[in-house]
Amino acid sequence: MRRTARLLTTAVCAVAVAGPAAAPAYGGDTGTLEVYPSTVVPGGQVTVNTAACGNGGTVAGDASAVGAGAFTLAPSARDGEAIGRFRVPPSAQPGTYEIAGTCAESGRRVAGDLVVTLTSARQQVSPRGSVKTGVGGALGPDPVQTAAGVAALAVAAAGGTWLLHRRARGDGI
Amino acid sequence: MRRFGNTAIAGVTVVALCSGAWLLRSGAETHAPPQPSAAQAHVGRDDGPARSARYERSAPALPPSPPDRIRIPSIRVDAPLTGLGLTGTGSLDVPPARHENLAGWYEAGTTPGETGTAIVAGHVDNADGPAVFYALGALKKGDAIEVDRRDGGVAVFTVDAVEVYKATGFPDAKVYGAAARPELRVITCGGGYSRTTGYQGNVVVFAHLTGSSR
Repeated sequence: MRRTARLLTTAVCAVAVAGPAAAPAYGGDTGTLEVYPSTVVPGGQVTVNTAACGNGGTVAGDASAVGAGAFTLAPSARDGEAIGRFRVPPSAQPGTYEIAGTCAESGRRVAGDLVVTLTSARQQVSPRGSVKTGVGGALGPDPVQTAAGVAALAVAAAGGTWLLHRRARGDGI
Repeated sequence: MRRFGNTAIAGVTVVALCSGAWLLRSGAETHAPPQPSAAQAHVGRDDGPARSARYERSAPALPPSPPDRIRIPSIRVDAPLTGLGLTGTGSLDVPPARHENLAGWYEAGTTPGETGTAIVAGHVDNADGPAVFYALGALKKGDAIEVDRRDGGVAVFTVDAVEVYKATGFPDAKVYGAAARPELRVITCGGGYSRTTGYQGNVVVFAHLTGSSR
């Protein structure tokens, strides 16, 4: 009995040690797949990009959770990023779906969430009225120019004073 | 030798006096941001032939992708874009004023290049002086506006009109309303300045998508 208990303890410890060490190998770094828009209506187009796979690598995208099947992320004009697109089927049900990608070279898996709603959250509310994009700071006197002007006048005053002194002493001006 | 020294000092004194006077004078002038002329306003709907076909041509819409950067070569704008929401009163929020070279886009709306009206706003000035869209009112019809997108593509817009609107009676539908083609609005402050109430309105640039690159 005691022997069994000791064995069990050892096993539990072993799992406890191995668990965290094993986790980062796969799926430890999910969420580096950017999904845009993150909320979409059925039939909407979705753009997916990731920098997780490095330069020039393609990524196998998987949107089968939402019923859109497989797609490919190809290297984009942005350094080290891959980009792909898919369309959410018009029959998709509201909910949150995981969109995944697997790097062709390293086999690393990345994922991001896509929310399907029946009413679009986008474009529902437009801004109203004017925008407060200025305080008049460009209109006042330029402090740098004013300081430079004051400094230049100080130099002129010093020079003038010096010349007058010389003249008063009859130093031959 | 002494005579040469005196001449040099007299010369420096005269130059310092003149440049000091000039600096103080020009430094105290107001530097009002440029405002669009009437020629940059929208042309009425009924004088169709006057509208150049160049302004009418529209490029195919791009898929949705958030923007990263806006470039307006003719007024030397090259600035990153931050996401903007709405204020409590329903007006468009603005980017933090302390960053003079930062613009924003309405991230609950259309992304630039997509079908619809994408909205970009930035400061004309902050407490320290001119900011990112100081020269926006100097834009002309036909000028190009480029938006770098997260998908690595660039959406290229052509300016259709540059207008100034008072804050009272601001034409919401015209500025923010939906569009059947990919359009862009770029907004900053303008329309005169009052010490008590600040800028009286907004300069609004209307543009539509005329090209894209990947």
